[in-house]
Amino acid sequence: MESGGFGSINKSIAMLSLCGVMLIAIIYGFVAYIEPKPTPLQGFTAPFVFGKFRVPDDNPLTQEAVQLGRRLFYDKQLSGDNTVSCSTCHLQHLAFTDGKARSVGVSGKTLDFNSMSLANLMWGPRHFFWNGRVDSLEEQALAPIQDPNEMAQNLDDLIDELEADDVYPGLFRSAYGKISAENIARALATFERTLISADSKYDQYLRGELKLSAEEELGRKLFMAHPDVKVSLRGGNCIDCHSQFLTSGFNAQFDGFSNNGLDTEALLNPGLQFTTGQVTDRGKFKVPTLRNIALTAPYMHDGRFTTLEQVLDHYNEGIRVSDSLSPLIMEADNQPQDAVNIRISLNLNEEEKRAIIAFLHTLTDHSFITEDKFSNPFDADTMPDA
Amino acid sequence: MRKLLSMSVASGLLLTGAAIYVYQVSQPGTVRMRFDAVVGNKPLVFNDARYSNPGGAGMFRIRDFQFFISNIDLHGEKGVYRVPDSYYLARFDNSSTSYQINLANVPRDWYSAVTFSIGVDEVANGSIMSVGDLDPNSRMAWNWEVGYKFLLFEGALIDSDTIRPLVYHVGFNENRKTLRFNLPEEVAPDSSDALLFTVDVLALFTGKNTVDMAALPNVKFDRDDARLLAGNYGTMISLTARP
Repeated sequence: MESGGFGSINKSIAMLSLCGVMLIAIIYGFVAYIEPKPTPLQGFTAPFVFGKFRVPDDNPLTQEAVQLGRRLFYDKQLSGDNTVSCSTCHLQHLAFTDGKARSVGVSGKTLDFNSMSLANLMWGPRHFFWNGRVDSLEEQALAPIQDPNEMAQNLDDLIDELEADDVYPGLFRSAYGKISAENIARALATFERTLISADSKYDQYLRGELKLSAEEELGRKLFMAHPDVKVSLRGGNCIDCHSQFLTSGFNAQFDGFSNNGLDTEALLNPGLQFTTGQVTDRGKFKVPTLRNIALTAPYMHDGRFTTLEQVLDHYNEGIRVSDSLSPLIMEADNQPQDAVNIRISLNLNEEEKRAIIAFLHTLTDHSFITEDKFSNPFDADTMPDA
Repeated sequence: MRKLLSMSVASGLLLTGAAIYVYQVSQPGTVRMRFDAVVGNKPLVFNDARYSNPGGAGMFRIRDFQFFISNIDLHGEKGVYRVPDSYYLARFDNSSTSYQINLANVPRDWYSAVTFSIGVDEVANGSIMSVGDLDPNSRMAWNWEVGYKFLLFEGALIDSDTIRPLVYHVGFNENRKTLRFNLPEEVAPDSSDALLFTVDVLALFTGKNTVDMAALPNVKFDRDDARLLAGNYGTMISLTARP
């Protein structure tokens, strides 16, 4: 009796479980059907000398995401009044800068900072903006969109606009699924990760494909050396902040942020102090990549210098002392220092300054600024009416 | 019937447990090493603290201090376990001013000694491949023709109202120092305690040779100066005495 009773209960349980399994299978099949299966990006490479890089697990590089991100990057719908896109301040022919000392967004107000070049963003400091306040490209991407002075866009409104668009619902569906702020950020970050500049004259030199001119080679040597009068080594001290292959700031922690002596203590901007809360980080800013530096004038976080000659003059004889000034800048001198009356100067001669500038020009990558894959996709088809 | 069932279940569980235990004790585990930084008999405080110039006038402050630990070997009863790709950049700019290394997959053994180097071996020092914490685009890289800084100390010397930068970058193959520590008790992987080491930053200037920072405010590419400081940093790490 008892065992028979158990038998029938077991039977019903078995039936129920079977139904459950079938239901799960059907739901799974349905979800798998609607869930996008984007194509991994093919042929994605970077020079090994750039070092390791990481792509977030939840935002892999896919063809669909790159295509979507590129379109968003160039689309003025991303701004509140549909007049400004990311590319307004990041123009490809200027290595994704805007040629202005300080950028201007929808409000017409001049912003506080110089537009940063977008190249090789997976390497160098893992902190974005001049003061390093965010630590992922995804997080970075949404800030200018919402900033009232930059693009002044409400994210919910933007999502509504994109949902009403002819093209975006399909692009989002195949790349990520739905249209959301998170997926807008992911797509923009993915496109930015593909912006790799690795075919400058310097890269070709590193690959052994050509020789630098005598002047460029002198400049390269000076770039790569901290001066040491004791062993008669002359140096431009650049490598103390700009890494040898990437020419960007260093990637570990906040090592890629520095106070390069632009202002005296009284005039110092908070810079990295905003992010870390440490008073010793006051006046430190992100060390930018020098890739394509000849194209990205004006220079410094506030665009105060218009030429590379002015930049070299600053490092050679224009350093202002403050408490967080890099000791490497303070100490670097190509002449013996007077221990009592320290006058900060690199003491490079004119020929050496010109040579460093000649080397900086070898960092220009013409294929980067003309690469079709990075260009405005709206130029190919018709630009939607703003 | 029910008794038989529960007995067989119990013995099954026991056997499985025993098998899991035997499996586990033969599996590799983790050995942890912790390095705590001090400045002589004072705690290490970056930027804010002032310490006496050991060889002369003035007080110094420390802005940055980091160095490479490499080629870690654990000496056990069954032999020496060489930790693969062991290049660690020890840095102490954190709330506990300490640096911890977790060596995973260490073979089961009783280890009685550990050896490692301050600095980087010649092969790795001449390479631009990123291995462990070696990164040719990092702050510890000089340039690919010179190799890595093994140790970096940056700060300032303050004497009355004069502030002088202090820059000590020590590298070159001859300055790699291999240290051996005989452990007071043998350790096996996954034991609860980390191996504790003390790193005395002051020993850089007081180890074998006392350094007057005013007379020698920077060390970079001069081989004699570099050797002088390397002689000192060979003495800066010790096993922490247990209370």
